[in-house]
Amino acid sequence: MADMSRRGFLLAVGAGVAGTVAAWPRLTAADVPGRGEDALRVAIMGTAQDAEGRKTIVAEFERRFPGIKVRVQPIQAADWSQFFAKILTMVAAGTPPDVCYVATEGVQLFADRLGEPLDRFVTRDKAVMQEYFSDVHPSLVEAAMYEGSLFQTPIDFNAANVYYNAAAYRRAGLERPADDWSTDDFLAAARKVQQADRSIRPFFWTNRLWGGIVPWLYINDTSFLTESKAPGGRWMWDTFYADDPSSAQRGGGYRWLHSNAQDPRVLESFELLRQMVADGLASSPAQGGGNELVGLFSGGRIAMTPAGGFWAQGLHDGGMKPTDFDVAYFPRWRSQRHQYGAAGNMILKTSKRKDEAWEWVKFNLSQEAMQLALPKPTTTPARRSMVNAAFYAETGPQHWQVFYDTLDRFPTSGPIPAPPQQAAVETALIKNVTAAVTGDPKKALASLDRDLTTALKT
Amino acid sequence: MTTTIPASTAAPTAAAPAEPAHDRRSERLLVWLFLVPTVGGLALFTLLPIAASFVLAFFRWDIITSPEWAGLHNFGDIASDVTVRRAFLNTIGFVIVAVALQLGIALWLAILVQSRLPSWLQSVFRSAFFFPLVLSAASVSLVMAYLFNADFGLVNSILNAVGIPDVQWLSTGSGAVAVVIFVYVWQSFGFSLLLFLGGLASIPTEVYEAAELDGAKGWSRFTKITLPLISPTLLVATVMAVIAALQIFDQPWVLTRGGPGDSTRTAVMMIYQSGFQELQFGRASAIGLVLTALILAATAAQFRLSRRYVFYQ
Repeated sequence: MADMSRRGFLLAVGAGVAGTVAAWPRLTAADVPGRGEDALRVAIMGTAQDAEGRKTIVAEFERRFPGIKVRVQPIQAADWSQFFAKILTMVAAGTPPDVCYVATEGVQLFADRLGEPLDRFVTRDKAVMQEYFSDVHPSLVEAAMYEGSLFQTPIDFNAANVYYNAAAYRRAGLERPADDWSTDDFLAAARKVQQADRSIRPFFWTNRLWGGIVPWLYINDTSFLTESKAPGGRWMWDTFYADDPSSAQRGGGYRWLHSNAQDPRVLESFELLRQMVADGLASSPAQGGGNELVGLFSGGRIAMTPAGGFWAQGLHDGGMKPTDFDVAYFPRWRSQRHQYGAAGNMILKTSKRKDEAWEWVKFNLSQEAMQLALPKPTTTPARRSMVNAAFYAETGPQHWQVFYDTLDRFPTSGPIPAPPQQAAVETALIKNVTAAVTGDPKKALASLDRDLTTALKT
Repeated sequence: MTTTIPASTAAPTAAAPAEPAHDRRSERLLVWLFLVPTVGGLALFTLLPIAASFVLAFFRWDIITSPEWAGLHNFGDIASDVTVRRAFLNTIGFVIVAVALQLGIALWLAILVQSRLPSWLQSVFRSAFFFPLVLSAASVSLVMAYLFNADFGLVNSILNAVGIPDVQWLSTGSGAVAVVIFVYVWQSFGFSLLLFLGGLASIPTEVYEAAELDGAKGWSRFTKITLPLISPTLLVATVMAVIAALQIFDQPWVLTRGGPGDSTRTAVMMIYQSGFQELQFGRASAIGLVLTALILAATAAQFRLSRRYVFYQ
């Protein structure tokens, strides 16, 4: 070993001590954003850019409420269960956020373990909330409830409608589908598109909870999970939706308690999709979030795909003109029940600033804040009044009314089936859908049934 | 071909002068001082989590509520779970095929590079083969997913151009397994190749010259000289490749999420799913412990076999 002089030794020790002192805030995690800071912490799933996008709302909120400082914390995650796991890690680390922006996929997951019921806040600020609820469809609110209580306030939503490429339709000699088109009409249109241009895939779909197999199950009046309503919730419907004809059928939120994978109608839906894939009318079940979809659709390689209002801006950014594409309802089979997913704020029960958190949640529901949050059609606003011609003027589609009318025309439309065990349920569904569509559907559905039964037990 | 060093040559030829006690002490102190960051890091980020995971395997824990003692329940639970069993079987099958391909391709290319190419071109190929390893496995898998997309992928376009119909790469069990193995091997063989190049370079040229005089060529030269002389490198490469392959996660996760069905589900995927998706951290730890035991057993078996097949010069 090389000799080290006393001076060298002391210098090395000194450097070590100085380095430790300089790094102390990081070593003790004192510099974790938000830790020790006197601010309301709002977690969103997204990147620093997404957090930056909320700067104007934060500035406006802080101007209105000078005593409350808001810090938006972007959490990068591949899906809602990963987002939830990261929030849990923050809870375990002693830096939980006060508010989380959560989609339908995560509502029951959060509500079951971490969410604060908003009932007392909503009834306390009845006048303000009446204005909000009068502009928001009750289906979105019902999906935000869990076991009789409201846990989330929807800000935006997306129903699974059918986007079609206008040029592909024109080449096939097709008109815009009728509002009540059937699955037979859909298949006939797909065949015409295929005959007109063999290089086009008539229907593209992504294997996931939203927009995958589920819309095909819903229109066949079934689902892969049993669906019922939790008791309670009358406080909401009688107070805020007393005049709504559908309010009598509404309850305290959805319950998905058992597997329904062995229902013959489920098999029927899988068979339809399997046949479409086998005939080359539909794409092979692709995994993931469908990021490549915009490119494929705008490039004219896909004729139809399930998508919601969120796609209007994406297609515009992808170079499509408002007349290059349009949107229609999902076809009718035994019913024309649509699938939708919403997103909004939730307050965490671990928050020590619940009143301040509610002020933030409430402010975000105002027309002004929503307009700041959604300047472009990157999603469908939960407020009906915001879904208007001006909003879609630059991007299209021509029949933008479809986005909100889906809820009005089909009031039994249902949310993404997402019980508190959403992650395990989604894994079970995704893995068996591919096997069912490309292999033996009966065997795959038996496996789905077994996996779902196990998942729902936990 | 084992050469032992006579004990007499290892002994000092003259007695070293005795070091003063305080010099020895300060030297020891210095040694510890330099070791502290590494040992501390290892203890904090490796040993402590392993110990915590061992303890956690006997508890039920979802992070929010306090852990509850579960005894052997987590182990019983994973033993009776067909998906976990399938994931372990997949992992073992994957290791056998992927490691064999990884080492086989790496050794073949290493010999080609070393024996057929001029030295300046060797470094070009070395870098080219090593390059995939420095890329993120997730990014590589994402790109591969596009290439192997059954409807719009480049691979099927090329096949179509030569008259072969579309192959359902990622939506059939066999296709998905093949793609996962291909992507993993493509990304990993560069490291084994570097090890083999080092091993081949250490073989004295005189040995080959002597063998040539004796008439050994081609295959016999490979099996009788090259293979025995690089067997220590082969052992290291195999041990490292097996340990890495047993922990495969990124490629199947991005490409197939374990599907179709459970055909590409692996043991580490089950740890991730149980822990971070289903919030059953005790169960995840139990799976982790079983995987650790499997890695230890595989490594021990390889070292035991090496006594018979590895030759040290």
